[in-house]
Amino acid sequence: MELTTTVNDEARVVEVEGTESAVDVVRDRLGLTGTKLVCGSGVCGACTMLVDGEPVLGCLTPATRLRDASVTTVEGLADGDDLHPVQRAFAHHDGLQCGYCTPGFVVDAVAFHDRWRAERGAAGAAGEVGKAGADGPDRETIAEALAGHLCRCGSYEGIYRAVAAACRGEHDDGAGHVERVDAPAKVTGAAVYTTDVVLPGMLHAAIRRSDVAAGTVGPIRFPDGVVGLDVLGDDRRVRWAGQPIAVVAAESLAEARRVARELVVPVTPLDFVLDPEAAVRPGAPLVYPTRGERKAAPSAGEGGSMPAPWDGNRHGPSRSPFLGTLAKRRVGAARAAGRPGLVELEFHTAAQLHTAFEPHACVADWTDPQHLRVWLSTQGVDLMRHAIADRFDLDPTQVEVVAEHVGGGFGAKLSLTTEATSAISLSRLARRPVRLVLDRHEELTGTGNRPGSRSRVSMLVDDDTQAVRALVVDTDSHAGVAIGNSVAALSMLLYERTPRLARDVDVVTNAPPGAPFRGPGGPTSAWSLEQTVDEVAHRFNRDPIGLRAQWDGNQKRQALYRWASALPTWERRPATGSQSGRFRRGVGVAAGNWIYLVDPDCEVVVSVEAGHLVASTAAQDMGTGSRTVVARAVAGVFDVDPSAVEVRLGRSHGGTSHGPASGGSRTTVSLWSTAVEAATSLRDRVGTDLDRAPAGASATAKRGGDRGLRAVPMTMNGIQVGRGFSAALHVTEVEVDTRTGKTRVLRVHGGIAVGRIHAPVLARSQCEGSIIQGVGLALYENQVLDPHTGLTLTANLEDYRIPQLGDTPEIDIHFHEEGWDRVPGGGVGLGEVATVSPAASVGNAIFNATGWRPLSLPVRPDRLLEGLRTEVTR
Amino acid sequence: MSITILTAYDERPDGAGELVYRAGGTDLQERLRTTGATPHVLDLTGVPGFAAVERTDAATTLGAGVTVATIAHDLAADYPALALTAAGLATPQVRTAATIGGNLLQRTRCWYFRHPHTSCFKSGGEGCPARDGRHLYGVVFDTAPCVHPHPSSLAMALMTYAATIDTTQRDGLGVGDVLGDGSDPSRDHLLADDEVLTRVTLPPPAAGERAAYFRSISRFEAEWPLVEAVVRVVRDDAGTVTSCGVAIGGVAPVPLRLGAVEELLTGTSLNDDTVSAAAEEATRGARPLPETGYKVQLVEATVREVLERVRS
Repeated sequence: MELTTTVNDEARVVEVEGTESAVDVVRDRLGLTGTKLVCGSGVCGACTMLVDGEPVLGCLTPATRLRDASVTTVEGLADGDDLHPVQRAFAHHDGLQCGYCTPGFVVDAVAFHDRWRAERGAAGAAGEVGKAGADGPDRETIAEALAGHLCRCGSYEGIYRAVAAACRGEHDDGAGHVERVDAPAKVTGAAVYTTDVVLPGMLHAAIRRSDVAAGTVGPIRFPDGVVGLDVLGDDRRVRWAGQPIAVVAAESLAEARRVARELVVPVTPLDFVLDPEAAVRPGAPLVYPTRGERKAAPSAGEGGSMPAPWDGNRHGPSRSPFLGTLAKRRVGAARAAGRPGLVELEFHTAAQLHTAFEPHACVADWTDPQHLRVWLSTQGVDLMRHAIADRFDLDPTQVEVVAEHVGGGFGAKLSLTTEATSAISLSRLARRPVRLVLDRHEELTGTGNRPGSRSRVSMLVDDDTQAVRALVVDTDSHAGVAIGNSVAALSMLLYERTPRLARDVDVVTNAPPGAPFRGPGGPTSAWSLEQTVDEVAHRFNRDPIGLRAQWDGNQKRQALYRWASALPTWERRPATGSQSGRFRRGVGVAAGNWIYLVDPDCEVVVSVEAGHLVASTAAQDMGTGSRTVVARAVAGVFDVDPSAVEVRLGRSHGGTSHGPASGGSRTTVSLWSTAVEAATSLRDRVGTDLDRAPAGASATAKRGGDRGLRAVPMTMNGIQVGRGFSAALHVTEVEVDTRTGKTRVLRVHGGIAVGRIHAPVLARSQCEGSIIQGVGLALYENQVLDPHTGLTLTANLEDYRIPQLGDTPEIDIHFHEEGWDRVPGGGVGLGEVATVSPAASVGNAIFNATGWRPLSLPVRPDRLLEGLRTEVTR
Repeated sequence: MSITILTAYDERPDGAGELVYRAGGTDLQERLRTTGATPHVLDLTGVPGFAAVERTDAATTLGAGVTVATIAHDLAADYPALALTAAGLATPQVRTAATIGGNLLQRTRCWYFRHPHTSCFKSGGEGCPARDGRHLYGVVFDTAPCVHPHPSSLAMALMTYAATIDTTQRDGLGVGDVLGDGSDPSRDHLLADDEVLTRVTLPPPAAGERAAYFRSISRFEAEWPLVEAVVRVVRDDAGTVTSCGVAIGGVAPVPLRLGAVEELLTGTSLNDDTVSAAAEEATRGARPLPETGYKVQLVEATVREVLERVRS
């Protein structure tokens, strides 16, 4: 039906289908792409818009409801350049990272703010702030009002601060200091993501996926006139339910999906195995029966898999020994003697999904047979430029990759995957641009996960001194069809150089593949190691921080131990098991550790164009702040405000030959000093009066390695392993409701030792986000597969449960900025190290509160109730 | 024409093919997006009185299109058990759009039913894949072939009021008449294909009614209940319960009104002993599935929670 609607004060006439939703009309028909579609099921709120002043969900609101209505989208909140106070507050308090959920949050927060202040007679201009409004709404009020929104980056602390401050009237006159240079674009909906790109004549593509967990696929015949492509390997095998089989392109997305759905795919199902324990039994169906197939197994690790032997569905072990035989012998002897100093525990973790809010998305356009432009939601525009060139037999100069803004990645957007290769191939076939965007169901099924695992830890300490005598860690990782996990090995890097042995095994099954996820292996490793350490402390009645300090040779973490010991939260920690009431509070601590990586080939160009500074690099910003880091580095040299520096990134042809990928905590440490060097060299040449700079003045700098300080003397895929380890410590307070089995995380102190912080507000946001993702890992998140088919049952954001605003603890971030002076810029990356220990600290806090140690993730109410029951009867 | 905005419940377009009724759309739009189906939509929002609340001394009548938010807000004083339940479900935006009619007649939230590649009793197939598969959020009173609990929280609360429901074909149905008992696993409700729920009628408000609602979940809010419970009581000056209604959800093929618990509480004061006895009684007859044993304890805990809240 045709309807008239007023959108952002402009009358529009649109034709809508009866089944359509408002978000489809607003984004696709009216071109207002600030409104984002994320979950499609009314859970995340990213598509929130105002209809006649009421916040409604664009994905669930029938398009027909827009008839004769007044609609306000995120683009309509500001009055020209004059932002709404809520938008200013989000920018100032950094209530955003990747920005993909931000339009929905901002629109709803505007409605809440306007109503809240109107009720208190404070809705007017600045200066009229009523007395009742002076305090602003409390956290619970905000959490309830915005309960219909989710943020995967975990920017909830900033959102609380922003909403409360706006309600207090603090941003009626302006935003104040805004550190994130692209925040204004993100709070107004102006930031363009890959999913927002529309090209003339563009086709839409859809993927036909396997609905069996294993099978052989015969030839696929595409109907006449359909642009289609078979994407299976030469072996014609599918190995997991959800694996892409074919892709098709059509004039509309609905048409492409219909064609994909109705495609005749001749599949002969094969036996499969999903349970890792069943997978290693004799006679289990083999995921990779031949050597050739094994070679093609995807890697869940960053930077490929170490060579290791195969035995059926077991790949490994990869050993990380230091006097490993002695370690085993000591543990064996202690076990035989029943020594109290031997603590042996077995831990299980569940698959955690990345679910970045911008899905995997690609728009490919062959501008001519030799030139390819690709808009791609990726963590590495330059990395992907080379990968695409390799794959399609082009010279890297013939490929341009664009990702102006990236709506989160968390590790799942570091490799060349189906959405990109398919869109590119289909575009070549069709000679038209092709867009391929995954839906949430696809995102939550097969775009990667932090693999589940089983770890057995044996830690032997001296009965008298608690000096570590041996450590043996065996981890089976369950990354589905993927291999290359490194979990146990990470346990070897923290405490005392005593005999130790780590063995990592991949047990492959017909489950969706794992992929690198923020600190790959780290949180999984900490969940077992840090709880084992906690158990040792408990057994010998030692202070868990003091015990770690006794063992730990990392001076930066020693500083964090001193900081944590003095925290009131730690000082008032109850004795374990001392409480008997319904609600039990407890405090836990866990340490984190990460390697230092840098990209020595990173380049930055700084130039003067028409009197203003421009910095360019072939990097990208997925919400972690690389755009801001470069702006601040250059601005510091010229002593100007960072907003005066135009940063061009998000393009592989952005003026440099190489930029770092956003992964492995290597982006900031690669960009900062390089940008400073380029800016300094330009300033030395042209001075600081930019209006008088010669036309075309520019300087380029290349990062280079840390001379003489490399741990491994080589560079692979733009990564060099630097010397030294970054450190973290999380002190966490929980409240356990022993009646309902619910755990609330009340407070987290995060100590992060990565040296100098180059963008403190953004760094804090990222560290807060890592804690919130850790809360999700600890308490809620769990990909569930059907045991009979291998289909992912939790493929929507209702059933795959990520933390909400109301689940956010009060967070205190402490940066220890010493200890990295030898690194140019004085600091290293924090994305990974900040994410290692939060979940383990929750586990230790639950133990402190209840006396029951949670060994399996996530600690859902059913597990907690079961655990407490057995604890009582024990 | 892919849509008809109805102006009367019995209006029918000519030769429209597959038809589907739509109220708030909070369930339907998600399923249409997932399946890609394009049925002809019969939109109910234009029917006169669809969203009307009518109050007389004898009854309060809610049009099928009255939203959950309206119930939560406007009925808080007179029907607190219903209003608290309404306020406790979903999210603010969903409550703004979702209707009482849609809440009662929504399709199951079982993850097998909602998955595009599985087939079950309720999606036109045979069998319940959750029974032999995963059913962590399944029933704990295993009394029917389909093992996922009915999702309507409002149905649970309406049971405690003995509310009646009118349709285009029948008047004065009880909630149980509309939802059935789950014995036909293909149905979420027993209305005929061309039958539309039009009104829900509540008895006059009970003077002095106090109520409590609680939903056991893992996160802050906005999560389908593991177990939910609602209680409404009227007590005399001495604190003796003169009438009460108790119901639980998330546990059985349809919400359960707990007559034995109500009987046990009526005539007593809500002291620790009666609360404990009532909470224990609530679990009588529980028959958990392999993965829902924890819900037995949670039923007791959740009923205890609402009883303690209502007496305080």
